[in-house]
Amino acid sequence: MIETTAAPFPTIRVRPWLGRLAIAGSLIATFMALVWAPTDAVQGDVYRIIYVHVPLAWLAYLAFFVVFLASLGWLWTKRAWFDALAVASAEVGVLFTGMFIVAGSIWAKPTWGVWWTWDPRLVTTAVMFMMYVGYLLLRSLSTDFARRATRAAVLGVIAVIDIPIVHLSVLWMNSLHQLPTVLRAGGSPALDASMGMTLGICVIAFTLVYFAFLAERMSIELERQRRMFEARA
Amino acid sequence: MRRVPEQGSLPANASLNDVTVVLDDRTILRGITLEVGPGLAILRGPNGAGKTTLLRVLAGLAPLARGRRSVPGGPPLYIGHRPMLLRGLTARENLAFLAAFRGHVASDVAAALRKWGLGSDMDRPVERLSAGQRRRASLARIETEQVPLILLDEPFADLDSDALVRLRAAINTALVRGQAVLMATHMHHELDQDATHRYVLDDGALREA
Amino acid sequence: MNALDRALLIAARELAAERRHPDGLVAALTFTGLLVLMESLAFGPGQARQPGNASALFWIAILFAATLVASRSFDRELEDDAIDAVLVLDGGREALYAGKLVAITVVLATVALAAALLSLVLLDLEVALPGHLVLTGALGILALPPVIVLTTLLALRVRARVALVPILSFPILMPQLIACTQGAAAALTGDASAALGWAGITAAFALVYGVLGLTIVPAAIE
Repeated sequence: MIETTAAPFPTIRVRPWLGRLAIAGSLIATFMALVWAPTDAVQGDVYRIIYVHVPLAWLAYLAFFVVFLASLGWLWTKRAWFDALAVASAEVGVLFTGMFIVAGSIWAKPTWGVWWTWDPRLVTTAVMFMMYVGYLLLRSLSTDFARRATRAAVLGVIAVIDIPIVHLSVLWMNSLHQLPTVLRAGGSPALDASMGMTLGICVIAFTLVYFAFLAERMSIELERQRRMFEARA
Repeated sequence: MRRVPEQGSLPANASLNDVTVVLDDRTILRGITLEVGPGLAILRGPNGAGKTTLLRVLAGLAPLARGRRSVPGGPPLYIGHRPMLLRGLTARENLAFLAAFRGHVASDVAAALRKWGLGSDMDRPVERLSAGQRRRASLARIETEQVPLILLDEPFADLDSDALVRLRAAINTALVRGQAVLMATHMHHELDQDATHRYVLDDGALREA
Repeated sequence: MNALDRALLIAARELAAERRHPDGLVAALTFTGLLVLMESLAFGPGQARQPGNASALFWIAILFAATLVASRSFDRELEDDAIDAVLVLDGGREALYAGKLVAITVVLATVALAAALLSLVLLDLEVALPGHLVLTGALGILALPPVIVLTTLLALRVRARVALVPILSFPILMPQLIACTQGAAAALTGDASAALGWAGITAAFALVYGVLGLTIVPAAIE
């Protein structure tokens, strides 16, 4: 194992720019989502939560996929940088997943009359949330750096493999019981061009926010690692 | 960081090269380079110096932060502080299992346990044995698992005079067979005279005494 | 001595120790029995008999029983550092995982049998397809230990291990839970094709997670 916080490949200094871009993007996206995009003919203004819900969903899955890659990176190379990436992405992922579940509930209640359904995607999201909360819990209870990284990495790999399996299982269960799929594919009202564009801008904005948070959290973790390595020497 | 003096063309039974071990964010061993060949090597050092960790590294039980470990003769026999015997099994069952796992013949287990004074107790579950008896049972593995490298961590604890004699005899037999014995202890003992190498571990660094 | 022999050796060692001190088995039996009783009372007699409910009560109790059995098994290894003697040996890690899987599955099967009989009697269950019920039950018992043993090993030297193991393993076991409960419910109600379908899925889970566990275990054990 290499006792260094250095990245395994050359990196560019993007942090200050990311923060500014994320804020700018969020402002633009907020304006477009709340003001610029037209009101939906069927759902009224409540549909606007889609501009929060969908980007968060996409980013939550991205975040956990990054955890998976970082976990493999640690197990393969034992470079501390990968562990910093894993924990940063997991924390942001848990945050975004929690927010996305809440947003979904807020949308579901006025639209379909229920806070929650047993739709495969919702169940998978809830299970995913629990898995990564467990991931963070395992990390917090471990004391030794290398062991913590390895334990977390193993869990990070297993969790990703499990997610599609959970999804399929719920799908089969529901189809067997002929439960109506409350959320049809896409789960959204038909989008016209301006709505589609707004959604695209929101996805970009949230992606910038994800990377901004990721970079900040990683820098905190890399600093902790650096102090730890120094204390050891 | 000293090396063992040249031993001719015999390959070392085990070697560590610039090994650093960190546990719970404390550096326990730093830059250890060591070759262990046939003969008795005694490792001394104050409590907390890292003697147990050094043995565990050789046994393959401690992860390396840096450096390389090589034990070409196969998994060593590591007898640590605690008996490492499964409760619920008898001494005989424990030793037979361990020998069988290595692929050794388990038929001499009863004879070995008898030699170590456990003739009448070898079929009692180990939790019903005294601390001294458990230590003797675990030391009897020196006879039942004959491997190129034997690692002993404070083997004298809980031993009465008969058992001490038995231990000295067992170690000498192992040395005659060409096995390597690395013993960590902070007690001085007659075995010192038989030692071919003496090391001191202090605050994670190794030097020859 | 090949890998299979080594695993069987570990399994035999485990079962011998368990036989002399069946604390794991006794605790799991008692806890499971209690849980089945409590759940039935909480649901009320009419409700608890429904195939879907009875099936769910049973499998949730078995999930907890499995964590208890695994916990006790590894507690025994940590006493006196018995596990270290195995980890030193070539192939020790893999044999430990595979051997524990076999032994824990055997113990869990015993618990499941007792719990199943208790459920049948307590709830006066009507079983439409007994053969299918046994099949789904047996496959379910095979599908749980790979994940639970892996999680127990992952958390072996972590604080609050007893609480952490269910937290880590239960989300991963959601698919197994779904398959087991659906399969059992189908067998109780007489839906043969559904029961067999779920049985097949359960078998697939047992295989996939068994292989995954064996692959990842060398990296996971300290």
